[in-house]
Amino acid sequence: MNENDIYREEILEHYRHPQNFGTMKNPTYEAEAIHPLCGDSILLQLKVNPKGVVTQVRFSGSGCAISTASSSIFTEWMLGKTVKKLKTVGTGQIQKLMRAQIGPARLPCMLLSHVVLQKILSADASFVSRD
Amino acid sequence: MNINTVRKEFPIFQKRGAKPLAYFDNAATTQKPKAIIDAMDKFYRVGNAPVHRGVYALAESATEKYENVRDHVKDFIRAKHREEIIFTSGATASINMVVSGLAETFLREGDHILLSDMEHHAMIVPWQAAAKRKKLKLNFIPLTKDGRIDLDVFKKMLAKHKPKFVGVTHVSNVLGTVNPVREMAAAAHKIGAIVLVDAAQSAAHLPIDVRKPDCDFLAFSGHKMYGPNGIGILYGKRKLLEKLPPLMYGGHMIEQVTREKTTYAPLPDKFEGGTPPVAEVIGLGVAISFLQSVGLKTIQKHEEKLTAYALRALKDVPNISLLGPTTAKGRAPVFSFTIAGIHPHDIATLLDREGIAVRAGHHCAQILHENFSLDASVRVSLCFYNTVSEIDRLVSALSAIVKKFQ
Repeated sequence: MNENDIYREEILEHYRHPQNFGTMKNPTYEAEAIHPLCGDSILLQLKVNPKGVVTQVRFSGSGCAISTASSSIFTEWMLGKTVKKLKTVGTGQIQKLMRAQIGPARLPCMLLSHVVLQKILSADASFVSRD
Repeated sequence: MNINTVRKEFPIFQKRGAKPLAYFDNAATTQKPKAIIDAMDKFYRVGNAPVHRGVYALAESATEKYENVRDHVKDFIRAKHREEIIFTSGATASINMVVSGLAETFLREGDHILLSDMEHHAMIVPWQAAAKRKKLKLNFIPLTKDGRIDLDVFKKMLAKHKPKFVGVTHVSNVLGTVNPVREMAAAAHKIGAIVLVDAAQSAAHLPIDVRKPDCDFLAFSGHKMYGPNGIGILYGKRKLLEKLPPLMYGGHMIEQVTREKTTYAPLPDKFEGGTPPVAEVIGLGVAISFLQSVGLKTIQKHEEKLTAYALRALKDVPNISLLGPTTAKGRAPVFSFTIAGIHPHDIATLLDREGIAVRAGHHCAQILHENFSLDASVRVSLCFYNTVSEIDRLVSALSAIVKKFQ
């Protein structure tokens, strides 16, 4: 099998057992995004320490193998990064992490976790401060 | 034309290869036979002219071809009068024309509209918009577990809500259910309701006769019956169409225009404002000839066999849940399903790699999916050019996908 296949075993394993899946109490930031094609949704929650470092990340919702695995892989990458660093991340980072070729129809599935992160980082994100 | 060799008429299937196209998205749009492509090509090459207004030979010939299709459609659906056939851009436009016309002229605040839970968004959304404008009340006929309309439930809803309008699809675009439109129309007429039958999913599969069921309005699209995109039909009873206001105002649909006012042309011109898509109308005419040369009854029988085969074959796919009726009787060859633990879009993408084209999503029927607590499903919709060996390919590809995800 092609090692750049989006449905390679490594990706399917992330779908079967997604990392950082679930919800957390008292997140610093959270946002939800809905996939317009299939109605799948993803809730992303981040806990950030006073130094601006992501100390905990959770995602939840329903999704296809591509969006679930990409969320799993992308959230693993987010952990330990600063919010400042997250703000500089483009969609290319997900493509790099996923190492997969994907057609235009399914690309939005792969980038859903990036869309929801942008929501968190944008000015109108729901900032859930519990200070 | 022989149904067993009909596939040869479709250029798109002539491409050979390791994974030839198995096209299972016929409920969305069908492929086009060569005869239609050629007829439209020929019109643009040697016959192109505006219809109705020109007095030169080329325009007269285009007009004749265009108007001949109206007669052809009239006979195809067994309408009484040629002016009851309105060319539209498709079933969606046809339904919108009826809904907005009725809402403007016939309906008052508080009037009830009865639709079914299996309607396409093309029926639901125009009514929701009209209901908001005119303060109408929408009611939805629930479905049985196997995705049918229970006539007794329908009749009770008629008695309870006394709807002014009943809108129902002839065949469900998701479940394949063939609805008892004849009985439904008769019951609806008893309480004086106007009935619109959405025939978008049936026109290519079943004989259509606007007298049985007794339809007040009927809508369908050319591109779902082997014809071109951008052309559809609204059939309406003459008396109703005469009272209905036009939807498109402009050229051709007028009788006389002065600074003070405009009087409208008689039927069918009143509803055909603007320059019509002549090549598409000609293409639709050829599509109808094509269907007639195979024979709708022959098509129906052949597709019933395919349906029975597919229903049996799909049972072999592990963890599959099929929506809709489980028997081939009263069922069109449309199969929507889910497979536990695998997202419909993943199934569709992986089938595509095998040259199998299916649809994944809600298929413009979100309310229907809500009935089954689903967001999405995979839809396999067949027509007469599909084969048993294509169904076998589908079943083994699906089984391989299930294995892959385990």
